[in-house]
Amino acid sequence: MTGAAVTIEDQLRAILRDVLGVDSARAAAIDDDTPLFGAMPELDSMAVAGLLTEIEDRLHILIDDDEVDGEMLESFGSLAAFVRTKQGA
Amino acid sequence: MSARAPRILHYGDGEAMLAFGPMNGPQLLVLQPLFEEMNRTRALIAAVCRGLAERDIGCWLFDLPGTGESPQPLDRLTWQDWRAAVSAAIAATGVAIHGSLAFRGGALLDDAVAGRRWRLAPTSGRSLLSDLRRSALASGSDPATPAGYRLPIDLAGPMADSDVVAGDGIRTVRLVSDDRPADVRVEGIPVWRRPEPQRDDALARLLIDDIAAWTSA
Repeated sequence: MTGAAVTIEDQLRAILRDVLGVDSARAAAIDDDTPLFGAMPELDSMAVAGLLTEIEDRLHILIDDDEVDGEMLESFGSLAAFVRTKQGA
Repeated sequence: MSARAPRILHYGDGEAMLAFGPMNGPQLLVLQPLFEEMNRTRALIAAVCRGLAERDIGCWLFDLPGTGESPQPLDRLTWQDWRAAVSAAIAATGVAIHGSLAFRGGALLDDAVAGRRWRLAPTSGRSLLSDLRRSALASGSDPATPAGYRLPIDLAGPMADSDVVAGDGIRTVRLVSDDRPADVRVEGIPVWRRPEPQRDDALARLLIDDIAAWTSA
């Protein structure tokens, strides 16, 4: 088992790697300012479906369809902030 | 038979089943992922079945009614029909089944198989249906027929409430990148997530080794 030190950001990078097929070097380079939807070519609208489901399963939150918008997926930082808010709710 | 080509059989109401490997070794029933993930994992599962056959392990790979080559339309099926199909497939093998290999959503049906259960990246019915619904919303298609699947309420309803069943003799395998509980983690591509069918021969070899060791343990 992985330790408790795994952050939300680490988990999100692993999910992006799995769902989008970005290699580990590219995934490791993703930071809060990295733009996502509209900027990352692999993240098309169909891939968003898989991304959201994996986030729900691995980060133990439930995401309503009406919570998904451009703002949430604008950058890696905004996605992490969304998850953090949901986990705290 | 040196290439160990699979034998083509049928079960139930004309549903297709492939038998790999000898009939005198351990015999495993293979439960494929559901919906689109079945197509995406076809190459991986075929490679695993062929590899196990070379190690004298028999694999029985069947299509659920309404999927693959099935003559039945999906829109008239129920979740109970799928559960019954597992039992019908086992009966049609004519051999004693020692356990099951379930990939992704196939694990939702493996409690119908007696014996030991091996699972790769099992997931819940709710997750699979969420994926389908979101894909439909994202692509602008009708959520009533996500990804072209006309899901009857008697299938989708019970499936939404179903999750993998815990128990003894279960081995859960996940990818290294997936930190949910597992007995072992392996390096590999989650081919069930990729829109274009993809091969991962290294992952297939890791799974064959793991299943072969688990079978003989």
